[in-house]
Order: sequence, then C-alpha cells, then structure tokens
Amino acid sequence: MEEKYIICEDSLEGIFTAVYDAYALREGHDHLHVQVGETDNYRLFATYLHSQPDFGKTEKVVRTLKERLGEHVYGSICRAAASDEADKGDAVYHTVVDGITGGHGERTMDNLRNPYVARAFALARRTANEVHHELEFIRFQELKQGVLYSRIGPENNVMPFVMPHFADRLSSEDFMIHDENRGLFGVHPARGEWYLVSGVEQGTAGLQEAIQYSDQEMEYQELFTIFHKTIAIRERHNRRLQQQMLPLRFQDYMVEFLQK
Amino acid sequence: MEVKIAPQMSLMDKLKILADAAKYDVSCSSSGSSRKNDGTGIGNTVSAGLCHSFGADGRCISLLKILFTNECIYDCRYCINRRSNDVPRASFTPDEVCNLTMEFYRRNYIEGLFLSSGILYSPNYTMELICETVHRLRTLHRFQGYIHVKAIPGADPLLIQRAGYLADRMSVNLEMATAEGLHEMAPNKHRKTILKPMRQIQNGIAENKNELILYKHAPRFCEAGQSTQMVVGALPESDYQVMSVAESLYEKFSLKRVYYSAFVNVNEDKQLPSITAGPPLLREHRLYQADWLLRFYGFKVDELLTKERPNFNMAIDPKADWAVRHLEVFPVEINRADYRLLLRVPGIGVKSARRIITARRFGSLTFDDLKKMGVVLKRALYFITCSGRMMYPTKLDETYIVQNLTYQNQMGKGEKLPFLLDGTPYRQTSLFDEGQMLEGLNVV
Repeated sequence: MEEKYIICEDSLEGIFTAVYDAYALREGHDHLHVQVGETDNYRLFATYLHSQPDFGKTEKVVRTLKERLGEHVYGSICRAAASDEADKGDAVYHTVVDGITGGHGERTMDNLRNPYVARAFALARRTANEVHHELEFIRFQELKQGVLYSRIGPENNVMPFVMPHFADRLSSEDFMIHDENRGLFGVHPARGEWYLVSGVEQGTAGLQEAIQYSDQEMEYQELFTIFHKTIAIRERHNRRLQQQMLPLRFQDYMVEFLQK
Repeated sequence: MEVKIAPQMSLMDKLKILADAAKYDVSCSSSGSSRKNDGTGIGNTVSAGLCHSFGADGRCISLLKILFTNECIYDCRYCINRRSNDVPRASFTPDEVCNLTMEFYRRNYIEGLFLSSGILYSPNYTMELICETVHRLRTLHRFQGYIHVKAIPGADPLLIQRAGYLADRMSVNLEMATAEGLHEMAPNKHRKTILKPMRQIQNGIAENKNELILYKHAPRFCEAGQSTQMVVGALPESDYQVMSVAESLYEKFSLKRVYYSAFVNVNEDKQLPSITAGPPLLREHRLYQADWLLRFYGFKVDELLTKERPNFNMAIDPKADWAVRHLEVFPVEINRADYRLLLRVPGIGVKSARRIITARRFGSLTFDDLKKMGVVLKRALYFITCSGRMMYPTKLDETYIVQNLTYQNQMGKGEKLPFLLDGTPYRQTSLFDEGQMLEGLNVV
C-alpha cells in the first residue's frame, strides 16, 4: 500500500493535530506517518497531506492521552514532542497508536521493544536531560529595574519544562528567560503566573546592547567567579572531566566562564 | 554576639580564604530533600539535587561551600587550617554569609549553603555561630533552599538539635577509618566525640519520622539525612577496613552517604606520605564504585573483599572483579533472571535492570533491545544470554574475560574513568607495567 505523510507544524499543537488527523483518516496506521515541517526530499510513490494546527483537535488528543495513557506517559510524549529531532512526529504518533491499540495505558513507555516507543523514549529522555541541565546551569543577571534576566541556547524546546521550576523557586521575583535559538521568552511577574512570549525576533536585535545591569550585579558575578576558581583542588585539576560534566555549549552562557 | 574578624578585610578576600579552606570537604550533594516554596520567601528543594557548576577539577559545585572561620584551636596533621600553620585567617559575620547565600541563590549560582567551620574558642561557641547564621537565613531572609551544616563534635546536644531543625542535612566527619589512625592524625579529636553527635542526629531523624506521621506539619529534622567523610591514603589502612567502616555506618548509623577523600598532603607533614604521584584518585574511584554496590546493588563488603584480599583490583572495577570470580552464576538469561541477579551483571545498572524487568513483560528481549535500554553490551556480553543465546561465541573463562575487559581499557574503549584523561598521574597503560596489580586475578 502507498505510504502517506501528514506534514504538520513544529509545535506540540501541530503534532497533536496531526495525530488527530491521522486517526480521522481511518485507514489504519501502518502506512501513515507524521512529519514535522516540510521535507526537501519528497518520495516518489507517497502522498503528502498538510495539517493545520487546531486548538480543538489538540485539546481532544490531550484529553484522550491523559485518560487512556495517564499523566506520566503524557509528560513523556510532550517531552518527546519538544525534541529538536526531525523524526519526532512519527515517533510520537506511533507511540500513541501502540499505547492505545495495545491498551498499555500507564505502561506505554515501557514497551521498548517497539522501535517507535524506544525512539520516543530516547527523545523524551534527551529533552528531560537538557531540562535538568538548564535548571542547573541557567544564570540570572540582575538588571537595573531589579528584573532577573537569563539567556539560554538549548537544543530542545525546554522552556515549558524549565519555567514551572523557577516560578516556584523564585516566586517573589520578576524574572525572564530568553531562548535565543527560538526567539522565545519565558516571563514571570513576581507572585504572578508565568507565560511564554514568542515571535518577537525582530524586536530583539538591539536587546543585548540595551541591557543595563544593576549596580551590584558585577560585584556578585566577580564574587562567584572567584569562588568557582578557589573551590577547585589544584592537585586534582581535570579539565576533561569538567567539560564532560558541563558541556561547552552551556559554558558560553555562564558568568563564571566568561571572565577569564 | 561578638565575632572576631579582621576589620579591613574585604568580602572578596574573606570568600577567597574561606572557600579555599573549605574545598577539601567532599560533600556537595543537594539531594534528599523535596520542598515547595511556601510563598513567603525564596527557594525550594529538588529531591534529585542540582549541580550548578563544575570546577576546574571536575567536581560539582552545588552549594556555597565555605567555612565560617578558618581559625582553629585544633592541630590535625592533615588539615590546612591547623593551629600550627601560618595561613591567613578570616571569619565571616552571620550577615555576610546570609547575603552571599541569598544573592548567589537568586542568580541560580547555587542550590544552597554548606557551612562548616574551624573551631573558634570552643566547640560550643562555634556551633552557636553556625546556628545563629542558619537561623537568620531561615527566619529573617525566609530562605527555603538547601542547607548543609556540620555538627561540631563536642558541642552541646541542644545546639546540634537546634541546627538539625534548621538544616536539610548535617554531617560529622569521621576523618580516618580507624580510631588509632584518628588519634595519630588528629590528637584533639576522638572517635567517641565524633560518633556521639552522629548517633544523636540518627535518633533525631528517627523520632522526627514518627512525629511527622502524627502531625503533618511538624518541623522537619535533617530531612536529607546525614553524611560523613573519610580521608584515604594518609595511613596504610586497607580498602577492606575502609569499606567495612562504611558498611557499618550505613547499617548502624543509617547514614545517607559516606564520602571518600583521596589524601592531599597540603601541609607537607613529615609523618604523612608524600604524594608525588598525585592524590590516590583511582583508589578513591574504586571505593566510590564499591560504595554504590553496597547502597544500590545489594552487595556486602565481604563479597567484594576479604582479609586475605584486602584491596580492590585496580585493573578492573569491583563489580566486574566479583563477576569473574563467580562465573558459576553466569551466564544470566535476560528474559528470566530476577532483578537482584540482573544487577550483578557488569554493564547492567539500576536503571537498565528496571527497564529490562518492565520491557520483557511485552515479549522477549534481544541484544538490540538491550543496547537501546542503555546496557553496556561490550561489558555485559560475557555474562548474559538472550533467549538462550550469547551475543558472540565467547568462553566463560576468568582469564579470557579479564583479558578482554582490560584490553578494551587499553584501547581507551573500556571502563570510563574520570581522571585518566588529562595528564593526571594515573594512566591505564602504566597499570599493566606493574605486575602486582593483577596478582589477585592470576593473570600474567
């Protein structure tokens, strides 16, 4: 039978809408694929369908996933969908199919024999690992107005998973996290609810230059840099190990590595 | 409260001196406590712990690790801050510690505070200073992040109890594995005075658990438990002695963690071994590996070491070492073996063992599936079968397996060691030049 590809937008809403559309076709799932974003390399004997993100369809999928597979699996699927890998759409779609048709429920992600589940599991784990790293390595800088500001450059879309942690931890602070790779801002007003702002790339051109730090900021950066340097034991110096634990792509955003 | 400080010293200078003085304390974890922010202040804790940075030595930096003061009335041989050393001395004020902690924490530099101290005037005086500082941090600043404080041996039990209700974790350092060793190294310290607060904290935690069952909002006492550390390589104690002490600390004192610290001769004391080859990092690494085997893999010290074989094999890790000496239990069938047996297979860890157990309910597993689950096949393949077949035809023979495992090491593809990489003293190849390393294995 002919392969069919559903092309969708690169977002949680886009992927879930595509999953809905795939089910709506009622043609079985074996020859259906969900693809995130356009491809440069179309296959000859395949049909391509386009799916537009739809809020209503997304909600239905979310409700079904939570009811049939449980919150835990739903969380893993969201993390897999936040990955930056091209095949995430298909992995998510067929994992959902396997969980629902197989009736695996809360154990859906345990079926690692299924290649799609194994792939979704791996993608979710990668996102979760990067989220964990960002919780550790994000550095806030205090601006003149008292707002805490942080730049990050993650591979996966970690923002929705990073924000709740800091919203709880720094509940009485105004803070903002800026994902440079996606032009995405996570904003938290003190004692308020956090939200995401996207699509403001044009306005951020002069952002770095316009930033003014508070009077104390440089002092604390310097104090921490000194602390960071002092706490290492000379007889045990091991840069390779340091780099293994703290990859360079994070170091570019961390105050203790900027002042050399 | 009056605190002795050098008035002209800047905060920067103090931080330099007191972080430098604290760096030999190994404990860095911020795990074991899980607490949401209550809306009145700053901070929460995450049960898995977070490492906010890594130093040039590759050790994690999770807490603002400082001494309150490096003035000390004791004269321990191994300690840089001993009374007889001529080093710059400094003391923080409680407010300075609080401000540093708060400002670092807001910027997500740290997960909390690790406060230790030299003994200023007396154990009680020092413990009171620590309590006062932490109390201020918790009440005045409403700090709800992680706090680890030292219990000063010899301090009044009431002060230790007070600290326990403010901190997430407390620790008392055992310093040396044997009581005689401690006496030799630290003439002012005694095993008894170290074990006393340790027992008190253990009992405090146990009582607190009962209170929490009755009253959900009872104040928490050392939620993240207690830890300790031992210096290894300063005295000729064996790995067997060290691990036996660790085992009894876990069993009899319910410790969360025991840390091992490779000896660094900071004082160039004549009675201490000189470590021209650098600190015994490989030995320390083997001790940590064995420590994990005790805590998560169901091993007992007597299975790993004996009086006749008191030290770990430096060429292969303790688990592989156990496996090659117990080939009668192998090969293990992945699709049938129970969790405990899976954990005994080199190359299978806690996570992959759990994944195997859950995944095989859906059908039998292949070597390819295992690979995806995170099993390190190049180590495991000698010890396992999938549906009755081995991955490659191999011999279930001690010499053969050891040769293969160590050959991988030589090729740089075997065991991942954290410190062979950077011009540091231990090189895998040099291990094989020294024949005695392999004696325990009867391999030449």
